[in-house]
Amino acid sequence: MLRVKAGRTASLAASGTSVRNVDGEAVALTVFSTVKRWGLLELPLFFLFIRRGKNSLRTLKQLSFIHAARWSLVRRLPANGAQPEVRLRFPHLYFESNFNGGWEEYIDAFSYVLTLGMWGFWGSSYGFPNALPSGPFKQYIRDNEFDASHYYAAYPEATTTVVLSALEIAPKVEALWDQAHSMSAEQFHAAWQALLTDGQSCL
Amino acid sequence: MPLTSNTVGGMYALTVFTPIMGDRIDDLRAFLGRLPAQSSPLQRLGMVHFARWVVVPDFVSDPRQPSPEHLPSPYLLFSATFDGSLDAFLDELCDKLASEAETIWGCCEGAPVPARGVALQAYLKHNQIQTGLFFAAYPDASVTTVKRALGTREKAIAFAARVQGMELLALREAFIQEFAP
Repeated sequence: MLRVKAGRTASLAASGTSVRNVDGEAVALTVFSTVKRWGLLELPLFFLFIRRGKNSLRTLKQLSFIHAARWSLVRRLPANGAQPEVRLRFPHLYFESNFNGGWEEYIDAFSYVLTLGMWGFWGSSYGFPNALPSGPFKQYIRDNEFDASHYYAAYPEATTTVVLSALEIAPKVEALWDQAHSMSAEQFHAAWQALLTDGQSCL
Repeated sequence: MPLTSNTVGGMYALTVFTPIMGDRIDDLRAFLGRLPAQSSPLQRLGMVHFARWVVVPDFVSDPRQPSPEHLPSPYLLFSATFDGSLDAFLDELCDKLASEAETIWGCCEGAPVPARGVALQAYLKHNQIQTGLFFAAYPDASVTTVKRALGTREKAIAFAARVQGMELLALREAFIQEFAP
């Protein structure tokens, strides 16, 4: 299937998005949506509420295929050269994500896991069809998505889960190396077996 | 607590939105399209986890909004997720990516001529969009830490497969040798 965006045809990668949005396992999602006036109050307060809540990002962490994501509210475009400052009549919500896996699965997971939270993010955007059913929401995101012209990931072959696993197991391997010199062969064998057992899910 | 925050842990979320000069959009698209995907020039910026350039021809107007809203010109969006401070990142960008940066932002309205150095840094800051909410799955891990951890994990997997059934003393010696810093 081919999607036509902004007057050009983009070929799809296996992950279900333009190849330009993909670097290895990493996928870029870039979305602008038009926000109703009351979003000017709701969105900053919603962001603040999430940032202040100790566990409010736990659900996002549970979506273990998101490396990093951000939301920003755009209200004005500063003056540049001959172009004067523009105060937008409607604020716009910028959303970007760096994730791994399939585009469809990513949006599905967002819809099913963050159903209520989705309203907090996009409820103030014109045309938001609710998170569920996910079909109309996926279409909404596709309609408002922009393809990257160039996308870069520093460790493109690593999924979020692999990165988190590596960050968990690597210090244990390094700690064992520090201790290995002073261990007997039997002690080391026991410690190595314990590391393999404890770190099984990371390897 | 401020209403915006560009940082979480040791990571910074930079978003820059700059107007493209009307007669330069094709040049810019062509240049960005030619940047090699497999060996991106952004590799030179060792502090960058993820980055993108996106040409935004215009806002998408929803049929339900009272009236359409258009950008005054096409815009270039640049975003980067990196370790450390904005100033350190912009220093590195304008040093190690000087040629590409000059070509890219040289296509943008109001950019300094040439689009280099301190003047380019000021231009990018002038057009920065503050982040409302920033999420990172491993906010305290730098690019260096992540890459090193990935390497260690890979080695551990290979080592575990290789040493199955190895004699105990040889196992310890092999481990010390394999994982020496």
